[in-house]
This record gives sequence, C-alpha cells and structure tokens, in this order.
Amino acid sequence: MSGSGRRLSVDSSQLIAHSSQLSAQDPERTTQNARLPRSVLIIGSGPIVIGQAAEFDYSGTQACLACRAAGVRTILVNSNPATIQTDPHIADTVYIEPLTVPSLRGIIARERPDGIIATVGGQTALNLSVALAEAGILDEFGVEILGTGFDAIQRGEDRDLFARTLRAIGEPILPSEAISSVEDALAVADRIGYPVMCRSAFALGGAGSGIAHTSEELRAQVEVGLRASGSGQVLIERSVYGWTEVEYEVIRDGDGNAIVVCNMENIDPMGVHTGDSIVIAPSQTLSDVEYHMLRAAAIHVVAALDVRGACNVQFALDRHTGHYHVIEVNPRLSRSSALASKATGYPIAKVATQIALGRSLPEIRNEITGTTAFFEPALDYVVAKIPRWPFDKLPAAPQISTRMRSTGEVMAIGRTVEEALDKAIRSLGGMDLPPGRHDIATPHAYRLPAILQALREGADPGEIAAASAIHPWFIDRLQAITHSREPVSSPPAFKLVDTCAAEFEARTPYFYRTTAPGARNEAASLPGPKAIILGSGPIRIGQGIEFDYATVHACHALSAAGVASIIINNNPETVSTDYSTSDRLYFEPLDAEAVLAIIENEREGLIGVIPQFGGQTAINLVSALQKAGIPILGTPPEWIDAAENRRRTSAILTTERIPAPIWRSVDRWEDLPGAVAEVGFPALLRPSYVLSGDGMIIVHSPADVSRYLAEHGHKPLERPLLIDQFLEDAIELNVDAVSDGREVVAVVMEQLDECGIHSGDSMEVYPVQSIGPELLARVEDTTRALARAFHVVGLMNIQFAVHRGALYVLEVNPRASRSVPFASKASGIPLADLGIRAILGERLRDLTVPAPRQDRICIKNVVFPFRVFPDLDPILGPQMQSTGESMGIGETFPQAYWKSWLGAGMRALPFGRAVLLDGLPQPERGILAAQFSATDSDVVDEIVPDLGLAVVLGRDAQHRKILRHCAATGIPAITTRRGVRALLRAMGAEMIAGVRSDDALLPV
Amino acid sequence: MSDPLQGTLLLEDGTIIHGTGTGAPGITSGELVFTTAMTGYQEALTDPSYRGQILLFTYPLIGNYGTTPVRDQSGTIQARGAVFSTLSPAGPGQASLTGYLAEGGVPAAAGIDTRALARHIRTQGAMPAALAVYPTGAQPPLAHLQAELASCAYDAADLVSEVTLTQPEFAGEGPTVAVLDCGNKRDVVEMLLARGVRVALLPATTRAEDVLRLDPIAVIISNGPGNPANAPVIDTARALYGRVPLFGICLGHQVIALAAGARTYKLTFGHRGANHPVIDCASRQAFITTQNHGYAVDAASLPDDLLVSYRHLNDDTVEGLSHRTLPIRSVQFHPEGAPGPRDAGIILDQWLDLARSPELTGVR
Repeated sequence: MSGSGRRLSVDSSQLIAHSSQLSAQDPERTTQNARLPRSVLIIGSGPIVIGQAAEFDYSGTQACLACRAAGVRTILVNSNPATIQTDPHIADTVYIEPLTVPSLRGIIARERPDGIIATVGGQTALNLSVALAEAGILDEFGVEILGTGFDAIQRGEDRDLFARTLRAIGEPILPSEAISSVEDALAVADRIGYPVMCRSAFALGGAGSGIAHTSEELRAQVEVGLRASGSGQVLIERSVYGWTEVEYEVIRDGDGNAIVVCNMENIDPMGVHTGDSIVIAPSQTLSDVEYHMLRAAAIHVVAALDVRGACNVQFALDRHTGHYHVIEVNPRLSRSSALASKATGYPIAKVATQIALGRSLPEIRNEITGTTAFFEPALDYVVAKIPRWPFDKLPAAPQISTRMRSTGEVMAIGRTVEEALDKAIRSLGGMDLPPGRHDIATPHAYRLPAILQALREGADPGEIAAASAIHPWFIDRLQAITHSREPVSSPPAFKLVDTCAAEFEARTPYFYRTTAPGARNEAASLPGPKAIILGSGPIRIGQGIEFDYATVHACHALSAAGVASIIINNNPETVSTDYSTSDRLYFEPLDAEAVLAIIENEREGLIGVIPQFGGQTAINLVSALQKAGIPILGTPPEWIDAAENRRRTSAILTTERIPAPIWRSVDRWEDLPGAVAEVGFPALLRPSYVLSGDGMIIVHSPADVSRYLAEHGHKPLERPLLIDQFLEDAIELNVDAVSDGREVVAVVMEQLDECGIHSGDSMEVYPVQSIGPELLARVEDTTRALARAFHVVGLMNIQFAVHRGALYVLEVNPRASRSVPFASKASGIPLADLGIRAILGERLRDLTVPAPRQDRICIKNVVFPFRVFPDLDPILGPQMQSTGESMGIGETFPQAYWKSWLGAGMRALPFGRAVLLDGLPQPERGILAAQFSATDSDVVDEIVPDLGLAVVLGRDAQHRKILRHCAATGIPAITTRRGVRALLRAMGAEMIAGVRSDDALLPV
Repeated sequence: MSDPLQGTLLLEDGTIIHGTGTGAPGITSGELVFTTAMTGYQEALTDPSYRGQILLFTYPLIGNYGTTPVRDQSGTIQARGAVFSTLSPAGPGQASLTGYLAEGGVPAAAGIDTRALARHIRTQGAMPAALAVYPTGAQPPLAHLQAELASCAYDAADLVSEVTLTQPEFAGEGPTVAVLDCGNKRDVVEMLLARGVRVALLPATTRAEDVLRLDPIAVIISNGPGNPANAPVIDTARALYGRVPLFGICLGHQVIALAAGARTYKLTFGHRGANHPVIDCASRQAFITTQNHGYAVDAASLPDDLLVSYRHLNDDTVEGLSHRTLPIRSVQFHPEGAPGPRDAGIILDQWLDLARSPELTGVR
C-alpha cells in the first residue's frame, strides 16, 4: 500500500545519507511517462565458480531476451564462453571480454549504453557495477544503473549500512558490528558474546564467513574474512546456530508494488550456507501467522532498501518463541531466485528486467496465465533441492558450514515432501554413504544419508532431531522415506507446474511426475514429430554448464527442423530447465524409471531419444533405453559402447591403422605391476567408464605402482583397469567434430599445458599454434576415419597427442564434450546445431557450414576451487579439478592469452611486478628474467608481496604453498614446461599495449 | 489409533471420488469449493464465510503445524467438510488437525487428487457435493449421499442467520465501531481494537435504529457466507446508508451494493486464496489480498454515485466501492488476512480516519 511505502521511505531517507529519491515521492516517475532506455549493457557473472554457477546464465539470458523483446538494444559482456547468453543471437552485441573495470570502461565508451543492469550477473556483476560507479565511469558516460540502483545495492550489501537501515524501520537484526581489524573484532565479540558469526562484506558464496567460538578462532576467521571481503569489512554478529532458516523471494517495482514469488525453508538449520542446505519450497513447518509475519517483514525490508527488481531476504526463525531476525539480503538475482523461478514457474529474471526498463508489475504480462506479473504463485506440490558436492572427486573433508562448497544442485517436485526428497536423491544418482562413522550433530555433505541410515537402523527420531537441530517434522518425513520404495512403472501421472494451483488455465509446458495413488495424468502426449533430449543433471566438476549449452542448442535446432523438443532434466539453475527453452519440459530424475515413464507418456510420434548432449549421465541411460526398445537418435548405442570399451576401441584403431599409445588392461590387481612393466614408465592408470578422469593417476616408478595398490588394492576391481603408455612432453590436441556418418566438420584446438593434464584443466588455444598444415590435415583425416569407424552421427570429441612428430589417438568420445561451446564460439561453427541436423538425417554437404574463423586467436583458461578447498592439491594432473572456464579473444596470441587470465578473474597484469621462477631452467629463465623483476622462492622466506606471476615447476610442499597463495590471491600460476612456452609466446611489447587499450575489445 | 476410514465424494454432476476418510465419520453436504492458500487451514476452516461449503485445499500437505485455539476465527469449524490430498501429521507435541476435525464433528476426505478435482471445479464451476466418511470395508453409502446431495441448497439458503451472534458483544475502549456480524472473523475485531476503538459486535438482524442508538462513528457490515441476496441485513444497510459512515467487507461489500440497488451475480468458481491481486483504481497501487467469495458485484448495475475503487487484476471484477460524496466504502477482499497477507490492512486505518474526520459530524 502506498501509505506504508511512504512511511518507510521517509524513515530510510532521513537516516541513510546516500538515500536516493524514492518512487512514492517522485511525481515524475509514473509508469505512463517512464522512458524506455534505448540501449542497455548487461553484465554476466564470469566463469563458473563455487557459489556462482549456471543460475546466472539463466538470469542473464532471460534479461537479454526481455530487453530485446522490449525493443531495447542489448549489449552483453561475460568472459565465460560456456554460456547461452554469450551466443550471438541472445544480445545485439556480445563481448566475451574480461569482467574488469578497464575492460568495461572500454565497452561503455564504445557502446554508450543508456543504462546497465547490474543484478543478473551475480555478485561479480554487482561488485563490478559498484566499482564502475565509484570510479566515476558511469557518470562520465551518463550511464544509469537500471532497476535496483547504486544506493539500494549499497544498503543491501554494506553490512553496516544494512544494519542501520533495518534498525531504522524496526526490523530485528542480530546484534552486530562491522569491523575492519582483528582488534576491533575481538572487542565487538566481547560485547555481544561468543559464539559469534563472521560475515565478510561484498563476498561471494559466503567467502570468509564462519562461526567463531573462541577469540583464537575469531582471530583466524577475521584474517581470512578481511582478505575475502571486497570492501575490507567483516561483520561480527551473534550466532543463531540451530534456528530455522527461511528465505523469501521478493519482487518490487518502481511504484512500490511488491510481491513474494516464493518462500523456502531450509531443512538444515541456521549455520549452513543456504547454497549448501537442503531446501524445501514452500515452507512446511511455518504457521500462517509465521509465514505472513516473515512475508510482511521481507516486503518491509525490500521497500526500505528501495529495491526495484528481485531481492532475496533470509530470516532466522526461532520456532520455539516465534522470534525472528533478518539475516541478510541479496538485492539481485541469485541462486535462490533461480530455484524459486523453477519451483514456481514464475520467470523472476524476466520480470525484474522489465522493472529495470521502467515497467510496473501490474503492467507486465504474465505469459503463463494471461494475467499480470503482480501475482503470487500458489503451489500445489512440494519442491526439494539438494546440493551436489564435489567430495566424491576432491579429496577434501566433507564438512559444510557458512562457506558454500557445493558445485551444483538438483531439484525435484512431488506431491509430498517424501516424494520430492526421494526424487531429489534419485536425481543425484543416489546418496551413497562412504564407509565409516558419520556424525549427525554437525553438518556435512553426507548428513542426509547418515540420518536416513540411522533411522533405518532404528534410531529414535526425537534424538536425531535434537542432535541435528533439524525440525522434528522433517525427521519424521525422512523416517517415512526410509521405507524402501519399489520403482513405479505405470500408469504415469504427470502434473503441470502452472504457478496457480490449477486456478487458471495455464500455458506452461512444464511437468513433473507423481506416483501418488489415484493421481490423474494431465500431460496429454505432445503432437509429433518429437524427440527427447536427455539433460546432464546437476553441475559437478567434469560435467558443467557446457553440457547445458549443448542441450539448449539441440533444442533450438530441433525446433528449427520442425521437430518438437522435450527436455528431461533436474538442474534448477540452468537455461535448459527454463520452460520456454523446449516445447515441453519434464523436471524429473535422469534415471531409467523416470525416463521410461516419460517415454511411455510420449510414445506417439516420438522419433527417439537423444543422449549425446547430456554428458555421461545421459550416456549411462542408453542401455536401459535400448533394452526397452526405445530408438536412440544419433550414434548407434553399440558404437557408443564400443568407444567406452577400450578393447573394442583398440581393435578398431588397429584395423584403421591409427596409432595409439601402448596400453594394457587388467581385471585383477595382482596383474597390475606386470602390465605396467610391459607398457613402460611413465604410465597412466585409469578405470574404464569414467567421467573427467576420476581415479586416474600417472605412475613414474614401481614405487608409485606399489603406493597405488596400497591405496586402492583392497577394493574389488569391478571394471577393468587400464594402463596407458604416457607420452611425455607431447602436444595434446582436442577435437570437437560433427559427423553425418560420412563427412565431418572438425574444430581442432591445442592444449597449452602438458599432455597428461586433464583436458578440462588445461589452457587451450584455437586455432592451433604448434603444428603445421600437413599435420593438421592428418588430424582432420583421422577424425573422419574415426567418425566412420565408430559410425558417429552427431557430435564427437577426440583427444590426440603429437609426440616426436607422430600423431596418436588418446581418446574417442562419441558425444558432446565440455569444449563444444568454446570450440563453437572460437571457430564460428555451430557444432551442436549441426549435430542435430546430422542426427535428423541431413548430410553435412547439403548444409551451409561457415568456414572456421582464422582471423583471431581464442584462448580458454580455467578456474579452480582452491580457495574454497584449501586442503586440495593445487598440482594439476589427469583428474579434473576446475569448475569453470574463461575465454580470451585477441588479434594476437599475447592479447588473447592475457585476456584469458583476466577473464578467469586473475588480478591485473604482471608487468612491473615480481615474478617467481621456481625451478625454471635456462633458457626460459633468462628470457623471463629479462622481462620481469624475477625472484626465486628459495631466496625469500615470505611470499613476495607484489607478486604478479608465478612459474612453479616443482612439486614439493613449498611449491604447493606458493600455488595455494596464488589461487587465494588471484595470481596467475604456470606449472608446466609447455605452459611456460605459452607464456613466452605471450610476451612482447605489442601485447602490453594491446591488452591495455580499449581498442583491444572485440565484439563476438 | 482409530479404525481406518474411507471417504467418498459425490458431486452434483455425478462424479464419484473415493479416498480415505478422516475427521468425524458421517455424511455431510455443501457447495464444493477450493482454496489455493498454502497456509492457514485452521483459520480457513473456522472462517464463517465457509459455512455451507465443503472446502478443498489445493495445497497438498495440510496439517503440518497442527492446531491451536488462538488461530480460530470463530468458535467452531464452519466448513461442512474438507478435502485433502495428504492430511499431514503435525510435529511432536502439536495437536493434530485430524483430531481437531474429529472433535469438531467434521467429516473429511484425504488421498484425493485435489489438483484434478480443482481443475474439474474450475471448468464446471463450484457445485453441490456430498461427502461420506465410513469404516473401511463398508460399501460406499451412495443412496445416503444422493439424499444428502438433494438436501443441499447453498444458493437459496440464508446462511448468515446460522452464523451470526444471538446477543451483542462489546470490547475495547474509545469511540464505538459497530460491526454487524454476518459471520465476522475474530481477527477483524482484533485489528479494530488495536486501532483504539470500542467494538460493538451486533447480531446481523439488529435494526438500524438500534445500531444508531449506540452512536457509532462507523458501522462495518462483516464478511459472511452464502448468497448475499439472502442475507437478512440488506434492509438494515439501506436504512443506515448515508446516516453513518458505512463500511463493508466481503459479504458486507455485496450487501452495501445491493442496498444501493446494484446486482450481484455468482462467479463460476469464485476467488478463494491468499494470493489475489487487487489494484486501487485511483492510485494504481496494487496489493495482494486474501479472498473468499463466490458472488461478485455487477459493475454495470451500480448507481452513478457508487464508484468502483478496487478491481481484481486477474479478471477485472469489482473488488471495492467508494461513494462519490458519502462516507461509504467497501472491499470484496479481506484486509485482515487470516489466513493470508495483511498488505491491505491499512484500509481499516483509512476507514477509521474517514469516520473520525471532523467534516463528517454532520453525517452522524
């Protein structure tokens, strides 16, 4: 209501120095004369890191589409090529450029946008926008921050200002104080009492946040927090560990109209980062009074901040007294808003963008029900979200707390909490409990399966609730799902996600399955012809947003070919699970039970199922589909299987006379030493059927083999173990290709790191730099031969090694790979789209295939989660560890090289700063030392303060320490000889000028 | 644990739906309607506006947080029956909704595909239905259900007389606000008391002269059940019209329109939920409201001096009235929420401000 809005605005403007004019008092700003900006710059979120994943591709893509639909010229910048938003057709102009102030200044100077949208690119875009404003760049070019403005961002993000704003409107906030030194922190903690919670300001994913019980713990925590904080501030507040955590997703327009899209209740109590919490939507244990008390408070807070767009408000609720505290807000699109969008069907980012363009909620059309966007979704189902943690892959302790550590999440929909949770667990491929004892009192990644196990073994639910501080109502639900469930095959009952609990006829093509007894099916079979595309599930290391990119492209290509697309997926963050991407979306686990039930429902007119875009998750379903007689489109399943089977691959390579490294396979551990001896050292050991190098290792000596046996030999060897000759110092080439069964279109990329480092972790360049046209032609010929030999129809990926002038095939994968987006963007060849055309039976020679771009250099760089997992080994190897990638585009190699580092979030450029050259021999050492002020770690006790670049070829504890320091402080680190060669290529005066000049910006 | 029960619903169009039975065994009938509110089952069940109706909850888990007397909006469960997807057990130490329904003597069905049934009502309209709860293993009492269904006359009944007070009740200190109780919810009285007035809660049949004798600064005609044309308060409203600041909530709003000579009509399936968007026609401010009504005021039938002040953003139906010159205001929605939001709670402040304004002394 206007009255309360007015009252709030007066309060906040009196107390907050930076308060801008608020809409309720501003007669000029009525919706009738709202002026649409002519052009808008949208800032993306950069490479996927823990805490900032595909959800910002989803929100940024929606924002771009909403701007273009409004007729606004749309400019997008993001350094992450593995995104849909950086596709040429999403915005009018796309820049794949570093997300830095100088880079953005250049884009603004060139494009002169009327406004920027700061709130759809996560914390990265928000911080960058604030930096642009503070540097005076926005004023200089007359650029307005659209939607939620600078002051509102400050009130939401600056912990002290936030606390003052909330106190001014009487919303309860935990006793807290912002500090900027350890001494102040200790003094504040003495005042408010231990335990205390430390939160660092402007930090991503809770970086530098945690609970301290003692002054020693506080000291350590604050030191980390001050470093992680964008503003050098840490907030010390009273800890409310164990309270119920509830979130509200609010949207507010410039006229002060506000709605709540969704609330969510964390099963994990306060003390666990919401990104690492198991979450249920809507809340289950809150009474109507509690629900609306917090809903009203959320709107109250959002109005006081003057948010004009989306905002997430987090509360701690004491379920025993009904008291609450506002914990924090995110005045932007967030992981939670993506989840809320998928949980309700309400397109939050699209609506928030229209608000940023000056529209009011009642003016914005609700596409689903034909009413307006001023509407609160009513759910008639339950949504469960479970995080996906990387502890199966990373050797780190699985503890979770206030610092987010999951890489992705699954969402599932059911008619009960039990059904939703059970489906979410299935979407993760099960939650296996590793051997050993598992604590229930403290949060960790295996707590849910540990509780289920304890309940199955007859533990008292009351005691588990007391120990875990999880609401007893949820423990009762968990008890119910311990009763083992038989897979339900028929009849399938699918229900619509319609935002309105059936109150209106809705147009969402968005369904979930329920096995509730007597449930009726409302998903009439989609008219054919149609094809089902299997998605790739939650983002995890080795299977990331790249697969979602391919899935979305496959969908669009099917539509273009007149075939209706059906997506099955369970990742709420992604563009593929935006219900407007496909003709029909089934939000379901990617297991045989769910997929077969969907196929049964869609049998009529179904051409087949396409698994090759969904990564290993989808490939794993092929045999079950084949058994059920379902047509698999693209490469025939027996050939997918042949490529997975090393013996068959080897036989085919031999027949085709294609060289490959010597290899052996053993079925028994005792045969391993002999097999390694036959192959020779160094050798690569790897289990078959693996994703992204799980369990791979390079052995250099019999001692390494003994160590490997000691570590793994006690486990049964379920599948054969492979031993490969390791080609030392080879050039590794990565090829993504499309085949129609006869011809291929291939994009050849060169890895810039050592062969043996997982291709996902290696820097990569397109076009190739180190091999000549003759060898390149052989690579293409071999690709064609392999495509024919493996009967590939659609996409394939091949890893080659060039060793002493000879070409070897390391790996053949008849499916979309992680590098498809980079390959497509670098070469200009739309691989996934061509793949679909080939799958649908078209010949490549009949299609218009653009010539591969050769007019520029593109370099892929990678980001690692070493900051989140300090106990991780920062030495790269055959097991993939990176979470995301950046792309540097340049007219020259050096330009692309340095942009790729900047795009990966690394700090500035090393020139004029110290460079560490540890263990680097001549002549490289001399060349680099002449360029930089070089140093050696063994000549300094402390790590050099003005370090700008590190070359670390050693592998001992000191080297690891340096690498961790580099990761923590954003300093580029080169760890291989081949990497040094790339660095040397990237040296030279012209690139220094090139990278620093605004002219270096290249629109895609 | 009591013996397992079955539940069977028979709709006027012949649809028969079987589920489990819960609450009190027996047979009941009423107009079958659905609410999309996700919380507030106890407030809804005790809302007198649901008198004469069987209430279906589209939210599939009802009962999660138990029951407690403070949430009651009246002294009893008013709905004649209830339909759930899952009647969920409450947390430890909380009184269960199952027990609450059983004590209240209200039969209920669970294990029903409530979404499918809500879709049926959406397309076919709210309709009379009968509900039987009986022991598992017994035959569905179809003949009884038919007979019970035949006795259901929701649209023709005077349900206000079933729910109104028999004796006036007074509470609070300050200037008097008279509330004509057509099925008033407790939270309205509490909100008025919190605003510093004395509330005179009067039987709906109180004569206008007796109301005015209390010298109220305003009269509020409350919400209530059923067809507004059958409410025994229209003549009173007509008699009060222009003589005292007159306000109406929900049924009270419809009554004021009828008293002014306008018409009401029945909506296909009504508005019931806590997410209904309403826009202020003058300021263009929008807010989310709780609604619970099956009838609406026909805008075309309004006299010239009675203006539409609020409209529903979804279907443009009349959501509020404002007299051009007289202190007469009404809203179709529920500013008190309960269940639901109180975003529109400020309307009570506006009404009381209007009632207290010095220019109105002449009216009084």
